[in-house]
Amino acid sequence: MSDARSEAIRAENITKTFGTVTALAGVSMHVARGETLGILGDNGAGKSTLIKILTGFHQPDAGQVSVDGNPVNLGSVDEARAFGIECVYQDLALVNGLSIYHNLFLNREPLWGGFLKLLDHKTMRRRAREALDEIGVNIPSIDVAVGQLSGGQRQAIAVARAVSSNARILLLDEPLAAMGAREARLIIDLIDRLKARGDIAIVMIAHNYAQTLEICDRVMLMQHGEVTFESQTASTSAEELLEIVRREYRAARGVL
Amino acid sequence: MAEAAEGEAPNGLARRAYAFLLRPEASVIVVSVALIVYFEIANHNFISGANLVTVSQFVAAPVIIACGEIMLLICREIDLSVGQVFALAPFLMQNVHDWGVPEPVAILVALAASALIGFTIGMITIKLSVPSFITTLGMLFLITGLTLTISRGYPADTAGGPILTGIMGVWGYSEIVWALVIVVLMHIALRHTRWGLHTVAVGGNIIAAAEAGIAINRIKVANFVLTSTLGGLAGLLEAFRVGSIDPLAGGSNIMFLGVASGVIGGTAIAGGAGTIVGGLVGGIMLGVLQDGFTLQGINAFTFDIVIGAAILIAMIANIHLARLRGRSPQ
Repeated sequence: MSDARSEAIRAENITKTFGTVTALAGVSMHVARGETLGILGDNGAGKSTLIKILTGFHQPDAGQVSVDGNPVNLGSVDEARAFGIECVYQDLALVNGLSIYHNLFLNREPLWGGFLKLLDHKTMRRRAREALDEIGVNIPSIDVAVGQLSGGQRQAIAVARAVSSNARILLLDEPLAAMGAREARLIIDLIDRLKARGDIAIVMIAHNYAQTLEICDRVMLMQHGEVTFESQTASTSAEELLEIVRREYRAARGVL
Repeated sequence: MAEAAEGEAPNGLARRAYAFLLRPEASVIVVSVALIVYFEIANHNFISGANLVTVSQFVAAPVIIACGEIMLLICREIDLSVGQVFALAPFLMQNVHDWGVPEPVAILVALAASALIGFTIGMITIKLSVPSFITTLGMLFLITGLTLTISRGYPADTAGGPILTGIMGVWGYSEIVWALVIVVLMHIALRHTRWGLHTVAVGGNIIAAAEAGIAINRIKVANFVLTSTLGGLAGLLEAFRVGSIDPLAGGSNIMFLGVASGVIGGTAIAGGAGTIVGGLVGGIMLGVLQDGFTLQGINAFTFDIVIGAAILIAMIANIHLARLRGRSPQ
């Protein structure tokens, strides 16, 4: 199914060490437009390091990243952004004291008044409304301070900001962390709608196996800086994934 | 805020009144009006032309300084040395004028020097990662010494023609007019420019601001430059009004009044929130208190106790009202 779609981003044999710690030992991944890839794994498995290489925050020691089939060098976050790679971090990077529309346009505010360069609140409001409507995020007022929103709504705003700044490769770092079922539903529905658009590739780091299998087309399990399992979600199960992890725990106990 | 937004009050007017009272400036306006009524009843002279001039002069300098401090507080910085720049700027002007430079140019030189002090504070704070509390505490002593050296500890007279001194402060209301113009400009800067919006973003969530690509250091340095420049301007205005330059003018007292005006008006000490209008309202309240107590003839020793207690109460009230609004002042 995913073969028909065009590949958005690919990483080949990525290695990354921090001092004596090997965070990534030859990791490869790829994701197509309209596809959602879930990356599972324990803390320290290398998931975040991989994401940070894709966002240009870290540079790999070896390996190659390609966007749209062309090898690229992601030397900085700005360079990655120029390729349409946007990451929504766990800390959300929203300013609680500012309104929704100010957050959506932070540092790319439309201006008016010629040399006076005044903020165009009207245009910001209208475009914020449009951006939220477009991806089906239902929020009563865009003038509300972000700090007054629920965790799920905040996450939705952060995703909306990434999408409205032309994200074509959307990286989500634990988008469902610390969220209740109803809140999580909000985000799952949002991810489904983005997927349905067909022009965005989504990579999602997660802990919850059941949710990941529900949302993603394909899952990848990382352990100790390596990809130890990869499958279409349709042909695997939470039990199978858990069994792999259990085997690792048993092995670890044996060593000790 | 939640209650006000959901509209639990039965009719619109009551709801609006409630929403208004929850605004940071509103409670201060209410208290100020109550104080004015009280002082007028107690003295019958409070609302008179002569006294209003006096009140406006109590209010002007702290409000001008508050406009800078509010911007700094919002982006999680503070300038403790602004009161010393207040004292230094008139002496710089006077010295430059004594070299034969025309007065208007001397004023600009003094303002530029004030801006340079702000720039220095900003660069030390940013480049050497020193908390601005420490940087400006050091500058406080340094600038005091500088002023005493330049003045040799003696007051001086201001020079200048009638038009210039009129503009700068001889007319009773010129200082408050300056203050109001600065309030309007800074309100626009805070609410309607990227500088203001980014100042709030830097104070609210510095990681988010960096993520969005905001030039954090530039924002902070700009606000230090602003505060020192306004401090210098307030000092010059005061010097022209009084007609003499005092090496011990301003100081920590005027700085605290500026900071207190801002905080009473709803600026969060911990950053990320604040309004310029709140600073004006806070400054008016402090001015009314000072002037009212003076009219009452309250003993000079107890005066500071009362003012200090009033500032404390106003600040505490504001923090708790902020909590009531559902937005903890982080």
